[in-house]
Amino acid sequence: MKYTLLWKPILKLVLRELFITILLLLGVSLLIFSILHFAPGDPLHIFINIQTQNPEEIAAIKRELGLDRGIAVQYLSWLNNLIRGNFGNSFRTGKPVFSELINVGVNTLILTIGSLIVTLLIAVPIAVVSSLRRRPFLSWGLTLFAYILSALPVFWLGYIAIYIFAKKFNIFPFLSAGAPSGFRLNWIYFLLPIIVLGIGNGSISEIIRHMRTQLERVLSEDYIKAAKAKGASIWRHSFKEGILIPVTTMIAAKIPFILGGAVVVEQVFNWPGMGRLAWQASLDRDYPVIMGITIFAAVVVHLGRLSQTIVFAFVNPQTSEKGEDA
Amino acid sequence: MRTRYVQRGAEVSEFSQIPIWRRANKKDLIQIGFGLIVVLFVLSSYIAAVLHLLPYDPLGINLKEMMQSPDYKHILGTDFMGRDILSRIIVGSQAYFMPGLLSIIIALFFGTMAGLVSGYNGGRTDSIISYILDLIDSIPKMVIILLAIAFFRPGIYFIMLIVGITNIPTVASLIKSKVIFLKKRNFIEAAKALGLKTRDIIFKHILWYNCKAIVIIQATLGMAEVILIETSLSYLGFGVQEPEPSWGNMVAAGKDYFFRGDFFLSTAPAVAILISILGFYLLGDGLNNLLEWRRRR
Repeated sequence: MKYTLLWKPILKLVLRELFITILLLLGVSLLIFSILHFAPGDPLHIFINIQTQNPEEIAAIKRELGLDRGIAVQYLSWLNNLIRGNFGNSFRTGKPVFSELINVGVNTLILTIGSLIVTLLIAVPIAVVSSLRRRPFLSWGLTLFAYILSALPVFWLGYIAIYIFAKKFNIFPFLSAGAPSGFRLNWIYFLLPIIVLGIGNGSISEIIRHMRTQLERVLSEDYIKAAKAKGASIWRHSFKEGILIPVTTMIAAKIPFILGGAVVVEQVFNWPGMGRLAWQASLDRDYPVIMGITIFAAVVVHLGRLSQTIVFAFVNPQTSEKGEDA
Repeated sequence: MRTRYVQRGAEVSEFSQIPIWRRANKKDLIQIGFGLIVVLFVLSSYIAAVLHLLPYDPLGINLKEMMQSPDYKHILGTDFMGRDILSRIIVGSQAYFMPGLLSIIIALFFGTMAGLVSGYNGGRTDSIISYILDLIDSIPKMVIILLAIAFFRPGIYFIMLIVGITNIPTVASLIKSKVIFLKKRNFIEAAKALGLKTRDIIFKHILWYNCKAIVIIQATLGMAEVILIETSLSYLGFGVQEPEPSWGNMVAAGKDYFFRGDFFLSTAPAVAILISILGFYLLGDGLNNLLEWRRRR
């Protein structure tokens, strides 16, 4: 009885969270859409500069892009298409947004998730060591080291990495001019930016601070003392509340931050990712692409939150009974 | 969810009885001292600029003295146009400080208000405010900033306004969880029973007596983040533009020389970024140890 999981409340909680997520995504799309349409600038300028000033042709282009309709109609038709899985076509290239998004989105996701793992690999051991308080000066030194790592400007770190690997060891494609696509490159091309972003994204110190506080709190709970007195492993008993929950919390909180850092690292390493697509699309006022990118980013952010909710619900079923996120 | 400070009744009440100057240990003092040095450096850069105390004109091009390595005349050497790097670094700290203060004030003011209202009232007000804050939080900060830059071609103050808005949810959630924690405590019940005005309870007994620490710590951490964002933007070429010095665009300008083996041009501003972000982090951490919950030893 004690160990049976209560599936029903967990499912209810997840459904509730999904509902809120969908509401938020709707809000995000509406917000971005209205900013797009009230901001100065016009998607037509990319056509008009090249082709013509003829008002009839301009009207024809407008009709073709669907820009002659009212804003509300445009938004609803965009939404209608989205529900059917159609992100629309890019104004500039005419290609479907979805395929373009998947191409670069996967690259950015690899960079983001990979560097998140690197960050955790550095931060979690330091947090665990310093929460034990056995060697105060070692843990202070480690914490300071982590602070220095997270204060490093990521672009400069990128320069150093490129310099060392390209100039000295000659194994990194030195600032490859044509942005390469696909997976045929050697592993270091992927690994170097991931490690650089993982070290330099500036969230290591915050993860350590959060984890240390939580772990210390858990380690001073009575049930850990009881486990110690019994001679049982304290790590097995403190794992769920002391490590799993803080780590998922931090993952969910830091995904947007690292996505942002990815934009900078993409620039340093010529990484064919979302940052560059977003920049080009914003300059061109390529509405469908911008909408696609923001929705994609928001979905990634909310996937992190959703997984956090699920982990919370499994670790501590009380949260689902109360029906509020802890 | 965001970082949350662990507060447990007994510990806080014991801790709050120790006077502030006796709470610090050696590590805290080192951290806070280092942070204060960084703050003083930035403040003194303004004084130096106003009183013409800079060693050289940060914009003054001197083609006879290009790419000098550090010596007694130019303490940090000169860049590819013969401009004194030390002067440029000193003035470069101004690129983020005032705009950063604006963003911090916005984030703290609106974040505190939102956190107080939604935490104290709860119910429907809370859901509406939480929805709006979650909306801001759903889009990665850098994406919002880049969109704004592409659309409006704004100055640094406008960018920092947006940074401030995107920081509201963090502050609000911290304040909110603190308010929810405090609301259940006896002294608030007592204040209500005594018939104090709601306004007094919220602003005096909750905000002023119990949330000061969060606000101060968030201000220092916010400044560290502002430096990160400003330097990243200037590095990408969207922030402060080239003749005006900013640490980010100084790193970017030294890029070509870096790969040729002249590390100093990029490294000097990068180290300045490193030291000042570190300073604000450590200041926040040290203040956190002093003002907030401290682990028992």
